[in-house]
Amino acid sequence: MKRLWRIGSVVALGALLAWPAGAGAFQSEGTVRIGAMWALSGPGAFFGKSSHGLASLAIDEINEAGGLVVGGKRVKMQLYAEDDACNPEQGLAVVRRLATVDKVLFSLGPSCSSVAEPVFGTLQKRLDDPGDTGLQLLFFTDTATKFGLAKLSPWVFRNTPDEPAMYDFVVKYLKENYPDLKTVMVAYESDFAHSASTWKLALQPALERYKYHQVVEVVDWRWLDNEFGAQVAKLRRANADIYFSLTHTPSTCPSFRELRRQRVKPRIIIGVTSIAAGEVLRQCPDVAEGLIAPSNFAPITAKAKQVADKAWERYSADSHIHSVPAYENVHLMKVLIEKAGLKNTEESLLEDRRKVRDLLARVGTFQGVVGKIKMNPDDHPVRPRDVDKDMILVQVKSAKWTVFWLPANLKQN
Amino acid sequence: MPGILLDATEQLLNGLMYGSLYALIGGGFTILFGVMRKLNLAYGSTIMAGAYVSLIPFYLFKVPAWVMLLSSIAGAVAVGFLVELVCFRFLRKGHELAPLLTTIGMLIVIDEAIVHATGAVGLDYARPFGEESLAWGPFLVRPDYLAILVAALACFSLIFFLIHRTRLGRAMRAVAERPQAAQILGVSLRRINVLTFALTSALAGVIGFFAVVSVGAARPELAVWLTGKGLVVTVLGGLGSLRGAILGGLLLGVLEFETMWFLGTSYRDILAFLLLFAILVVRPAGLAGARAT
Amino acid sequence: MDYYVAIASIIGIHALLGLSVYLVAISGQMSFGQQGFFAIGAYLAGMGTALWGLPLLPSLVLGALFAGLIGIVVGFPALRVRGLYLAIATYGFGEVVRLVFLNIRYTKTIGDRVVGPNGAEGFRHVRYVFDRGFTGLQFLGIIAAVVAGVAVLFYLLDRSKLGATLRAVEEDEVAAATVGIDVTRVKVLAFGAAGAVAGLGGGLFIHFSSYIDHDMVALPLAIASITYPILGGLGSFVGPILGAVLLVSLTEGLRVLHELRMFVYGGLIIVTMLVRPRGLVDEALVLRVKRWVRPRPMPRGADVP
Repeated sequence: MKRLWRIGSVVALGALLAWPAGAGAFQSEGTVRIGAMWALSGPGAFFGKSSHGLASLAIDEINEAGGLVVGGKRVKMQLYAEDDACNPEQGLAVVRRLATVDKVLFSLGPSCSSVAEPVFGTLQKRLDDPGDTGLQLLFFTDTATKFGLAKLSPWVFRNTPDEPAMYDFVVKYLKENYPDLKTVMVAYESDFAHSASTWKLALQPALERYKYHQVVEVVDWRWLDNEFGAQVAKLRRANADIYFSLTHTPSTCPSFRELRRQRVKPRIIIGVTSIAAGEVLRQCPDVAEGLIAPSNFAPITAKAKQVADKAWERYSADSHIHSVPAYENVHLMKVLIEKAGLKNTEESLLEDRRKVRDLLARVGTFQGVVGKIKMNPDDHPVRPRDVDKDMILVQVKSAKWTVFWLPANLKQN
Repeated sequence: MPGILLDATEQLLNGLMYGSLYALIGGGFTILFGVMRKLNLAYGSTIMAGAYVSLIPFYLFKVPAWVMLLSSIAGAVAVGFLVELVCFRFLRKGHELAPLLTTIGMLIVIDEAIVHATGAVGLDYARPFGEESLAWGPFLVRPDYLAILVAALACFSLIFFLIHRTRLGRAMRAVAERPQAAQILGVSLRRINVLTFALTSALAGVIGFFAVVSVGAARPELAVWLTGKGLVVTVLGGLGSLRGAILGGLLLGVLEFETMWFLGTSYRDILAFLLLFAILVVRPAGLAGARAT
Repeated sequence: MDYYVAIASIIGIHALLGLSVYLVAISGQMSFGQQGFFAIGAYLAGMGTALWGLPLLPSLVLGALFAGLIGIVVGFPALRVRGLYLAIATYGFGEVVRLVFLNIRYTKTIGDRVVGPNGAEGFRHVRYVFDRGFTGLQFLGIIAAVVAGVAVLFYLLDRSKLGATLRAVEEDEVAAATVGIDVTRVKVLAFGAAGAVAGLGGGLFIHFSSYIDHDMVALPLAIASITYPILGGLGSFVGPILGAVLLVSLTEGLRVLHELRMFVYGGLIIVTMLVRPRGLVDEALVLRVKRWVRPRPMPRGADVP
C-alpha cells in the first residue's frame, strides 16, 4: 500500500509540475508576450543559447527605452523561452504550450530544422479555412535553415540565409577572382539534411550553371562520424584546387585534422553557412585557419560591433549568422506590433496574431543589423516568407572570423 | 602491387589498429559481463568521464600526455565506483533487466553532467602523437593509431597476466564460471565485483584517453558511439570471452575500413549490422565459440 | 488545453511502443529494436494517406500489418539467440531499418508539393488529420481508442491460455517444450504481434506530427521503448502504459527545472529501479491487486511469481 502511494505521488508530482504557472492578462498587466522555442539543452544548445541571448538583448533595449505603445498604453515585452532540446516530439508539445499555455503573440525559433519540420507541418496551411485544424501560431524563425520550411505554412516567416543564392555567388566569385583554380572537391554529411541539400540544391546546381569548374571528387560521411581517413585519402588523390567542406563543426574539426595529417592542402576551402559561428573557433582554430564561409553577419559596422559586444557581455551569447536574426526579428516585430492596432487580450489573441502575420507578409524591406533585409510576400513564386539579404564572405584568421569580402553597398567602419 | 591491393592493404592496417580500440571497449564490457553476468550500459559514459577529467589538468596546467592518461584512469575509476555503487550494489534482487535500466539512468545523468560542465561544445584535446601521418612506403600510417595498437597490446597483456597468473584472476575466473561454488570456497563475491569494476574502469580510462586523442576533441556524443561499438564487438566475440572481444574488435575494424573505402558510408553502416546478424545466425555464441556460463 | 491534449497523444503513442516491448518481454525475450517496427508502421501509414490516397484506418492497418509481417520474418532467425544477444541483435535490426529509411527515396509530386520518403530530407506533408478538420482532441480520441483496443486485447491475452503459454515459455523454455508447447511458434507469433503494435504506434505518430525522418527512430527512441515496460513493470499490460504516462509527463512536467530537467529524469529512473527493482507494476503487485479484487484461492496451479 505504501508503495502504491509512492507511485501515485510521483505521478501526481509529474502532473502538478505540468500545471501552467498562472496566466496573467496582457494589456491589463502591461505586457506583450512573445515566445520562443530553441534548443537550450542537448546537441544544439550552442545555437539555442546564442539566439536566446540576442533576443533577450533586443528585448532589453526595447524595454529600457520604455517598451511598446499598444492601444495607447506603454507595455513591456516579455519573453517566454521554451526548450525543445532539438527533439521533434518535445517541439510538438512545446509549440502548443507556447500557443495555449504561455499564450504568446508569436514565436522565435526553432533552432533545429528537424524540430521545425513537424512543428511547421502541423500549423494551419490555409488561412481562413475552418476545415484546416492546424495550429495558428505565428513563427518568425532565426535559425532553422532547411529548404522549403517556410512553404509549409502561411504562419511561418524566416530570417535565414538563402543558400542557393549564396553558393551561386560563391561559384561566380571564384570563377571571376580565381580563374586559375578550376578543380573542385566536395564533402557533405549524408545524414544531415542541411548539409546534403546545400550540396544537392545549392552548390551542385550553381557549379552546373557556370560550367566553369570541374568536380573531381565528392565524398560523404555521417555528421557524427569520428574517422575520415578513407574520405580524406580520396580527397588527397583528387588534389583539387578548391575544397567545399559542407560540414558542421563535429565533423569539420576532425576532418580538417585529417587533411593536415595526410598533407592535403587545397588552395581554397569553403564551408557551410552554419560554420560561420564561434563553435569552430573554440574547437579547432588552428586547422580552421583560412576557412571561408558565406554569412550574413560580421561586426563590420559600429552598430554590429555594439550588438556583438553587448550580447557577449550580458548573456555570453555568440553573435553569428543564426543568432543575430533573433535580434533583428524582435526589433522588427516591435515596430509591427505598434502598427497593428492590437487589442492585446487573451480573447483577441488569434486575431492579434493574424494582424501581425499580415503586416509581416507585407513589410517589404526592413533594416537589419548589417544591411537591409527584404521579406518575400506570400505569393513569391520560389521562396515565400523567406528573406533576401546581403551576403558577406567571412574567413578564419588568427582564430577569429574576419571579413573576406563585402558587397559594395555595405561599408565597413 | 596493383593499386587496389595497395588500397586494401592500407585499409587492412588501419582496420587492425583502430580495431584494437574496439577490442579494448569490447574487452571492458565482456570482462564485466563474464564476472558479474550483467551489462553495464554506463560504460561508454565512464570512458568519456575519464577523458573529461583528464581535461582539467590539461587546461589548467598544460600537463604532459602521460599525466593526462593517468588522470583519465583516475577519473574513470572514480566514476566507475559511483556506477557500481548506485546501479549494482544498491540494487536489490529484481528483474534481471533492472541493472540495464539503472545503468541507462546513470548514462543519462553522467551525460547531462558533462553537457552542463562543458556547455555542449566539443573541447579540444591533446595531440601527443604528432599532427602528421607517417609515411611507411606506399602507406600513410597515423601515429596515434599505432599508439592505440601498442596500448591495446600492453593492456591485454596485463589483463591476461592478471587473469591467468594471479590469485585475483583465478578468483575472477572462478566467479565467472561457477559463482555459487566460488562463494562456497570462500571467495567474496562482493569483493570480486568491486575489483572487476575497478579493473574495467581503469581500462575505461585508458580507452577514453586514446579514443579522444584519435577523435581530436572531447564530445558528449562519443559516449553513445563507444557504447554501440562495444556492444557489437562483445556480441560478435561472445559475451564473456576476452579472446572473442579481441577477435571481434579487429574484425569489426577491418570490415569498417574496407567497406568504407570500397563501398562508402551507407554500406559501412549496414554491413556492420549484417555481420552481427550473420554471426548470431551462424555462430550464436560468438566468434570464440561456446563458453561455460 | 491543446498542450495537454498533445502530451496525452504522445503518451498514447509511446504506450503502444512500450506495450510492444512488453509483449516480447513476457515471452522471455528482450527486444531493443521495436523502434524499427515503429518506423515501418509510420512510413507505411504515411505513404498510405499521403501518397496513395487511402483513408486513415486502412493506412494504420497497412502499417501495422506490414510491421507485423516483418516481425515474423525477423523473428525466426532472431530466436536462435537469447537474452542480451537478442537485445543487441534487435538493436541491429532497428538500426538497419533506420539506415534503409535514410536511403529510401519514393516521392510523387502532388499539386505543388513533393510528397514521400525522401532520404535524409525525411517524409513531410502527411496532413491527412489537419486537412480533414480533425481537432487535436478528436485525434486523441482515435489514439485513445487504439490504445484501449490494444489494452483489451492484452487483458484478454493475460487471462487466456495463450497468455499463460507465453509466460510459461518465459519462465522455463525447456519445461514448456516438455509439456508440448511449440516454443518457436509462440515466440515468433509474439514477435510478429509486437511488431504490429509498434507499427500502429508509428502510424499514429506520423499523422500526429505530419513528418518523420530517420533521426526520430534512433537510439533515444530505443532506450525510451525499453524504459516504459521495465520501469512500469512487467506484471501486467498496465505497467508499460503507466511507464509511458510517467516518463512523458516528467519530460514535460520537469520543464520548471530548466537546466536540471534531464538530471532529475535520469535520477528518477535510477531511484525508481532501486526502490522497485521489478518495476512499478510488478508481478507481486498484480497478484495483490487480484487477491484484493477476488479474495479466494486461484484455480490454477503455482501462482508464486
